[in-house]
Amino acid sequence: METMAVKVEELAVSYGSFVAVENLSFNVKNGEIYGLLGPNGAGKTTTIKVLVGVLEPRSGKVEIYNTPLTDEVAAKSQIGYVPEEVVLLDSLTPREYFEFVASIRRLDRQGVNSKLERFASAFELKQYFDTPIAALSMGNKQKVAIVTALLHDPKLLILDEPLIGLDARSSKILKELITFHAKKGGAVIFSTHIMEVAEKLCTRVGIINKGKIVREGTVDELRKLVRSAEGSLEDIFLKVTEQEAGMQDIIKALEED
Amino acid sequence: MKFSELWRLSGKVYKEVSFQSIFLLRAGSTLPQGRRDIKQLVTNARVSTFISKLVTTVFIAVFAVVVFLPLVIGQLGPAVPTEAAVQGGVSAFLAVVLFLIVFMGLQISTSFVSSKIVDVLSPLPLSKHDISRIVFLCFIRIFDIPLIAAAVVFLTVYFLIGGSVLGGLISLVSIIVTEIFALALTTISARFFYLKVASSGGRSKWQTFLRFVFMLVWILPTFAAYFVVNFARDIVSSFAHLTQSFSSFFQILVLVYPFSYGFLVSYATFFRGVDYATLSLSIASSIAYIIVAYYCLKWVTQTVRKIGLGATVRSLTEAVKDTHINPQIPWLGIIRKDLRVASRAPSYASLFLLPVIQTVVLAAAFSSFNEVGLSTALGILTGISMITLLLPPTLLSIEGLGSAYTRHLPMKKRTLITAKTLLSTVTYMISLVVLSIVAYALGKNFSLILTFGMIHVLSEAAAIMLELIILMKKFWKEGFALGNIYSRISTYILILIPGYIVASIPIVSAFVVFFFATPLALPIFFTAAIAEFTLMAAVVALEK
Repeated sequence: METMAVKVEELAVSYGSFVAVENLSFNVKNGEIYGLLGPNGAGKTTTIKVLVGVLEPRSGKVEIYNTPLTDEVAAKSQIGYVPEEVVLLDSLTPREYFEFVASIRRLDRQGVNSKLERFASAFELKQYFDTPIAALSMGNKQKVAIVTALLHDPKLLILDEPLIGLDARSSKILKELITFHAKKGGAVIFSTHIMEVAEKLCTRVGIINKGKIVREGTVDELRKLVRSAEGSLEDIFLKVTEQEAGMQDIIKALEED
Repeated sequence: MKFSELWRLSGKVYKEVSFQSIFLLRAGSTLPQGRRDIKQLVTNARVSTFISKLVTTVFIAVFAVVVFLPLVIGQLGPAVPTEAAVQGGVSAFLAVVLFLIVFMGLQISTSFVSSKIVDVLSPLPLSKHDISRIVFLCFIRIFDIPLIAAAVVFLTVYFLIGGSVLGGLISLVSIIVTEIFALALTTISARFFYLKVASSGGRSKWQTFLRFVFMLVWILPTFAAYFVVNFARDIVSSFAHLTQSFSSFFQILVLVYPFSYGFLVSYATFFRGVDYATLSLSIASSIAYIIVAYYCLKWVTQTVRKIGLGATVRSLTEAVKDTHINPQIPWLGIIRKDLRVASRAPSYASLFLLPVIQTVVLAAAFSSFNEVGLSTALGILTGISMITLLLPPTLLSIEGLGSAYTRHLPMKKRTLITAKTLLSTVTYMISLVVLSIVAYALGKNFSLILTFGMIHVLSEAAAIMLELIILMKKFWKEGFALGNIYSRISTYILILIPGYIVASIPIVSAFVVFFFATPLALPIFFTAAIAEFTLMAAVVALEK
């Protein structure tokens, strides 16, 4: 029997009177890379923030490896998270930051140091170890967030637009790490706007629009669903999110301008 | 581009810089969810910077009144002639204006130094010349109200004491020179702070020690501002006495800013008792200071423009030998992180020092007591414990820094409460030790303070735990940013009051018992403190 990594049922999140996510349900199994796709403001980041315990839902049920999210510490212990907007403790250096996170996660000194050595060299982060995070470039901050997410060898990786700001080398390494993590039996939830990346990387995708999952499945299944055998994931995405209609007219009008 | 348009644009940039100073340094980049909350944070930033300007203006006005009022109503001390009082008053006023403006501008100026204003302005169709003018105007906006207020207040009081037109002109020049010096000093300090403290990394103990020293230098003016206003009369009389002590050695004083202007304004007001050698020296040195101010202004203009163009913001990297880290148990990890954050943010570090400095002030008051009895000891403990109880909310707000990310960490409430309680309680204990050392140095009996103080640590810890539990219940989900905690004054007060009550219970009980059954005061005090501690520790242990 396949182990369920994430179970989301009837999730609803509101910001005041604004409903960001409504009746959203999906599952992610072990060994899966689940792509969460959707236009800007569709509810992807809101959903992810609920999954990692940063936001509290209005209603619905979320379980991480059969642990309800209400059991915060147990659920959070199994997650490695890279946020869309990297806001870390800017006044600390990466070394101090890793030390803080490793302390909270009660990581073993020897194990964490050997991992850190490997990740720092893979992401070319070593030279910035004693530089305040505030003084790092966006890409380097992103690398710090990625390394922090991987430090405790989590069963579930939740990555919200993790490739933004990364150079080609680091981007390639991260994609390989994600694939390897899934092959090892871990699960990944991955949000991106780059359709080519999602198409290559994800075993299954869920397309969110206006706070609801409008289509879900493998890319091939989605092709069949929208009757677009030739189309790329981008075409499918535009069709499903109702953004395709009239787009040619808009492009034409812009070109005429 | 027209000046009015440049001024308008500089207003927009200034809004952003003042927002950053609150948002990054104090709210920790934690954006509350919901548009209305964000709007409130923006308004808070605007109000907070305005209040900071207003407070400086009020300080300047109060100081002017204290300094010049005796001259206006003609009630000077018998030993102080009017000329000396004006010399001392003007010199002291200029020195205080310089100091207050520098202090007030430091925090926002540091944000100004660290912000990349040019990133916002350079893509716009503006010439480099216009961008640098906007950046400079934005810098001036940080100080606008205090700069104008200082000049207006100074000239007003000068004419109220019966000043002459020539004296008024010299006063105007002296205040302009002072304000230029203040701008230059602020620019130097802000750049220095940004490079050495806010953005300095490094791993060695020496670098950590340096950061601590810089932070001390940074914080001390906060307390000095308090002393300046409290001891305004003494400062003026010291300045007046200095100017009166005219031996050949003290003639050198006339060459020193701000005394040169003090002498000159006094001469231009009364035109009597003129010592021509001193007058020539004061005129010469005043002119020299105008020239220095001119170059300072030129330097400030150029430096501020360079800062605006991103010259100070640089990536600070250094050779790193290894990637070794040393993880601790969670509560110790939190304490280490808090101390590291505090060593780079003045608003946090000042709170650690506040109880200790308050203790020194209280200890200094010892000299007026013949012996330190129980009521004095309990009174002093009340004072220090109340100040220490301001620490937990601010300490917890460190968790607001970057909480959009750190909130996903598997952190238990009781771990967080334990860490913050330990840190606050240790600060209280340090205050007690400092108090005992000062008392010992003054030759006073400190055994009562030490005995009751060390027992009161338990009660103080209980009060701290209570504050933290209330805060946890309120802000666990929405984050602990100062923007959240301090923007709701009623919440803040509601957090402090229960803490104050808990810390006061053993003190009040011992005080009451002391009048009826003196020997029972200590046992009652001990019982109350230990009961509070046990109860609160049990409540914390139940927190998940």
